[in-house]
Amino acid sequence: MDDKRDALRDEFLAEAQEIVESLSRDLLVLDQSQKEGRIDPDLVNEVFRAVHTLKGVAGMFGYSQLGNIAHHLEDLLDALRLGRVELSQEALDVLFEGVDDFQRLLSDEREGTGDRDDSPRRSRPPSSIGAAAMPSVLPPPPPLPGASRPPAQASPAAAAAPAVREVDPLSRLDLDSSVLTVLTEYEEHRLRTNVQQGVALYRLRVRFSLTSIDASLEDLKARAKPVGEIITYLPSMDGGDGDHIDLDVLLASRASPTDLRDLLCSGDAVLTEVAIKRDVKTPVPKAPSSVPEVAMHRGSTAPTDPEPGLVRSHETREISADQLSLRSVASTVRVDIRKLDHLMNIVGELAIVRSAVGRVTERIRGRPELRQLAIDLHRVNRGFERHLAELQDGILDVRMVPLGHVFDKLARVVRQVGREHGKDVRLTVTGADTEVDKLIVEELSDPLMHIIRNAIDHGIEQPDARHSAGKSRTGTLALNAYQKGNHVVIEVEDDGAGMDEIKLRETAIRKGIATAESARDMSRDEAYNLIFVPGFSTSATVTDISGRGVGMDVVKTNISRLGGVIDVQTEVGVGTKFTITLPVTLAIISALLVRVRDRQFAIPIAAVQEAIVLDSKFVRTVEGRQVLSLRGSTLPLCRLTDLFHLDERSDAGQRQFVVVSALGSRRLGFVVDSLEGQQDIVIKSLGKSLSNVRGLAGATDLGDQRVCLVLDAPGLLEEVLSTTDVSVGAGGWA
Amino acid sequence: MSESLARRETKSLRRRDATATQRAHGENVRELLAFEIAAETYALSLDAVREILKPPPVTPVPRAPRDVLGVISVRGRITTVIDLRTRLRAHASEIDKFSRVLLVDDGDEVVGLLVDRVLQVYRLSDEEIELASVVSGDLSEYVIGIGRPHRTRQSRSDRGGEGAALSDSDILILLDHVELLRR
Repeated sequence: MDDKRDALRDEFLAEAQEIVESLSRDLLVLDQSQKEGRIDPDLVNEVFRAVHTLKGVAGMFGYSQLGNIAHHLEDLLDALRLGRVELSQEALDVLFEGVDDFQRLLSDEREGTGDRDDSPRRSRPPSSIGAAAMPSVLPPPPPLPGASRPPAQASPAAAAAPAVREVDPLSRLDLDSSVLTVLTEYEEHRLRTNVQQGVALYRLRVRFSLTSIDASLEDLKARAKPVGEIITYLPSMDGGDGDHIDLDVLLASRASPTDLRDLLCSGDAVLTEVAIKRDVKTPVPKAPSSVPEVAMHRGSTAPTDPEPGLVRSHETREISADQLSLRSVASTVRVDIRKLDHLMNIVGELAIVRSAVGRVTERIRGRPELRQLAIDLHRVNRGFERHLAELQDGILDVRMVPLGHVFDKLARVVRQVGREHGKDVRLTVTGADTEVDKLIVEELSDPLMHIIRNAIDHGIEQPDARHSAGKSRTGTLALNAYQKGNHVVIEVEDDGAGMDEIKLRETAIRKGIATAESARDMSRDEAYNLIFVPGFSTSATVTDISGRGVGMDVVKTNISRLGGVIDVQTEVGVGTKFTITLPVTLAIISALLVRVRDRQFAIPIAAVQEAIVLDSKFVRTVEGRQVLSLRGSTLPLCRLTDLFHLDERSDAGQRQFVVVSALGSRRLGFVVDSLEGQQDIVIKSLGKSLSNVRGLAGATDLGDQRVCLVLDAPGLLEEVLSTTDVSVGAGGWA
Repeated sequence: MSESLARRETKSLRRRDATATQRAHGENVRELLAFEIAAETYALSLDAVREILKPPPVTPVPRAPRDVLGVISVRGRITTVIDLRTRLRAHASEIDKFSRVLLVDDGDEVVGLLVDRVLQVYRLSDEEIELASVVSGDLSEYVIGIGRPHRTRQSRSDRGGEGAALSDSDILILLDHVELLRR
């Protein structure tokens, strides 16, 4: 019983979460298009449908609170899509808050504090979608003209739309009344809006095969979308046979009929323009109430004289659209990442089994009488190997998710923080489809959120200040992601005030992070990197958003834990850019195997720029540290024997190698005894008991029972290079 | 005791329902795996020991705490091996043909403990165990107590002739594995 309930609950959560996430994405697009003044009505309708589905799902699983919020939002969205309420920033606020409420309720439910009807605990009432928020956005319901008319048949849209006080544009259309009578309220609204905006109407008669009608319709919609809007489609009365059906598609478009024909007409489809009678003299007195003629007509005929077939097909279509969205939600599966880790471990073990089989095969090969068997076994093993590689790739691929997931969340943060600060911020996103390991995406969310909050709080100026600085009042925050070799680069760039290195130095001295002397000696880059030092914050006042002095240092720690680096570039008055460089995946990497004395180590190839023979002629010492002059630049060296306190035999006479590691703009040369080739390895973490050991990213099983440690190149780079930085930059607190 | 024997014994004992054991004897019985370190006999609760391995090649981990011998791969899982001699403040051991690694689960992590040799499984009733607090106040926090198994298990009727058949080698130092692995 409880198991069954848990399964139901999980199903509900997964489904609701999917809906809320897509809702959130759509709202952000709406928000953007609202600001640009071009609202896609389809999208509004989409959002309406999503909320409607959510309401249904909540009802089905008995989550009344969620259902109530969805119900209120649905009312608002219905008004929005029918044009009764303008899509304003305030209305969007309500919708965004609604999404936040959904998120909160869902996470409450996930943690077991949710409000199912039969649950004794009740969580807080929704913060925003109460009686208080709605009236400010929703107009009072329009008075129903004609009390006898059932509400669903009335057309409040018509009552509220100002244009219909004169002549209802629909009456000017050369359309059969049988078509007008079966339009839904929404379709009627869209039709009217298009006609009012002077968009030409077309009727497209298309023949569809009954077996493929769904796909063909979707295809037609997709082709029509860029050039116009499909208002409705109805089965035509006189066409069709047992296998085919003719649909009349009503299409509004500004494109020329010729273009439309090229685009949409294949086979025997026929496109005709629906004439608009410009000179209809509809006497105003004929419509004494504010109800337009058509609506009157419809109101009186619909209950008694509908085309039964038409109405039914119309209803069926509404239902199937709902089912469609439910089905698409159900086609994805949420999987605990630990299950994938487990599968990956099994793959690792299978690889070991495979090499064991390989060894057995070799032994059999030595026996002449079993030659054929050895050959067969070898072939089977090769097949096994191939499929194993595919399985490995497949699991890795499943782990990959687009960065868009985390970017969507950030877009909400940008909007919210911007509004809290009275700053106008436009977010531009590129590369949201760049894919990264799921684990990295999860861990990225917090650091990125912090950078973005900082950028809006400290970076982007108030609109007035921007204006007087000669910039546009709206600040721009750019979130760019792209893949670069084995790495993914994420940039967060604002066009705000930038950071002043002099102020940074002053703050560092004031906070005791650096002495006056060391602050003076810092290079500019070192000064910028002060923001990553614990306890450093440039904010004059501590705000709710950032400036609590925890922040950028935590960001840096989190990023380097993922094997990444963060760099900052800034220019006073121009803006600041944070660049985060991350490995694409944590699970499988290509690594360079090296040997130092009797130890073997793996260095992730992603961190290796080149490997060269160490020529001691070019080794110099700078302040007691060894550096190598390499093609005109100076490369700090790190001897792993020293770092790891390995056997201190003399290196004299031994040929050694330098593995040049580069991340971001920093470089370090690891001195090793020999290079032992490149190999794909599965990185596994060291146990909790070794989690405090720095400099190691994990270990890998090379298949011969030997475990090889994987160097944490970014961490070592950081560690080795920062010991010099500290002596210069942070002597104050050392 | 050979590895396979010890492992078989671990398994067969694990399979037995603990409460059933308890009911049969009508009292609380602990199952303990005894092993030797630097000529002393120690024991861990059998439930805590997942597996007994012959030591595979160990990869030393630089910068690790002194008592960490290194890491091994147990069927693809990287496992830390702790040298119990160092942990118990004895001298580090040489690995020889009797050495074994006990895989112990402390709830967070499975850790390998290197011991000199594995002896046998004991079933001790409460009265065969002296709690650490009774024995001495200054034992390490990971010592639960001292076990004194009867050499031949007596029938319940004449239990009471306590200590009659004991020799020194039968003293077990009982360890708490969670406390043992705590840093």
